[in-house]
Amino acid sequence: MSGPAQATRAEVLNFSTHPTKGQRWKFSQLLEDESVRHRWEKVRKYFFLRESTYDMSNRCNIRCDGCYYFEGDKQFARENRKTEAWRTLMRQEKARGITYVVLAGAEPALVPELLRVCFEEMPLGSIATNGVKFIPKSVGYKIHISVWGNDETSRKIRRAKDLLVRQMDNYAGDERAVFVFTYTRENINEAQEVVELLASNDFKVTFNMFSSTLGYDGPLRHDDRSLLATRKSMLDLLRLYPQNVLFSPYSALAHTHTRGLHSLFKCPYPRMNPSTHIGLGRSFRQYRTDLNWDREVACCVPDTDCEDCRHYAAGSAVVTARLHGHAKDPEHFKAWLDYVDTYLAVWVMGYEKSENLQTKLVPPPGFELAPAW
Amino acid sequence: MEATAVKIENESMENRVAQIIIEELKLEDVTPESFDKNLDLVDELGIDSMDLTAVVLVLQDEYSITIDEDDYPKLKNVSLIAKYIQDRLD
Repeated sequence: MSGPAQATRAEVLNFSTHPTKGQRWKFSQLLEDESVRHRWEKVRKYFFLRESTYDMSNRCNIRCDGCYYFEGDKQFARENRKTEAWRTLMRQEKARGITYVVLAGAEPALVPELLRVCFEEMPLGSIATNGVKFIPKSVGYKIHISVWGNDETSRKIRRAKDLLVRQMDNYAGDERAVFVFTYTRENINEAQEVVELLASNDFKVTFNMFSSTLGYDGPLRHDDRSLLATRKSMLDLLRLYPQNVLFSPYSALAHTHTRGLHSLFKCPYPRMNPSTHIGLGRSFRQYRTDLNWDREVACCVPDTDCEDCRHYAAGSAVVTARLHGHAKDPEHFKAWLDYVDTYLAVWVMGYEKSENLQTKLVPPPGFELAPAW
Repeated sequence: MEATAVKIENESMENRVAQIIIEELKLEDVTPESFDKNLDLVDELGIDSMDLTAVVLVLQDEYSITIDEDDYPKLKNVSLIAKYIQDRLD
């Protein structure tokens, strides 16, 4: 008769080397899990990415409620449409270490000749567009197409007719395209039908959170109730459409927390970070259409109320930058890896999202789940 | 004699720190011995916050110390990192 089963070597090692509750894990211990180590090696290849953002045009072909571009001074900057000026800027940016450009406001698709020049000089980047006008294939950046609800809602708050149909027609089969569904307080129930439609047409989709511009207190602004409903919707859609939805449980949690991103993770963009030692505080610039920039207001979504900022672009930098705080135990580290894996799949051409490692809802380091789940 | 021992200890720690940086950043054509210990890691080597964090996580393991994120600006070069670690160990 045999006795109790002998513990395996791995079990013995785990027992003897892993910290007890409350102790900090060694980084090397976090990497003992092969799937974690593999994901770490996958994402760290992209640590060279250093972004800045650029307003390309001060015009837009639609006008949306709560648009961040048409707030503050930047909308009044003169347009520089000289391709050689943009080429020179891109070369200067490269020389100071920028490796990734985000081309945004007001509507970049209106100046395709400038987009082409940027792409010729800087091979990695993305464009934030409303998707009404097709961006030529010669511009090989990721294209983020904004969706604010179903077509009825788009007609109301974006004054655009049949917007989703036009967006899908323009970018059918286009590997650059990622649809970005922005949850507002009022469109949560529309996410299912929009994502279902996008998924049935084989599009990729990720999620954004409406983040109020300074002084905005209108009906799109989230409250605790809508944050919770949004989180549930995001998780449901992630579960239902895993091949199409580029997101992770931790992304859902981080972007629907009662506290905004700055409060949770301490935003590293210059606008909220006086340090110029390293990282975004040192290298990030937000150029206006006249090719000037101002450190005091520099962040990825200028004129957003920082207390209410849950923007997907902000999170991609803010959460990612907090590797140190997440490398404290396996649960947080896996959640962070999923977040970064998601961000890279959304922002980098050719990067493929892997299956999420963390299926549990993990609160950000030092915080509780809020609103309570 | 004691001063010599301290010097050797410092050099040894600096070389180990340099080795970690070389491995983590996958630097080529440089050895721990040839690594300029006063080279500014951000201004001259051009490392960014994510790479520095990766180095810090390994240093924490190696020396069983905790390095606060607020202390990153102190970690300007190999020599200062070695001194920082030595201070924490003392």
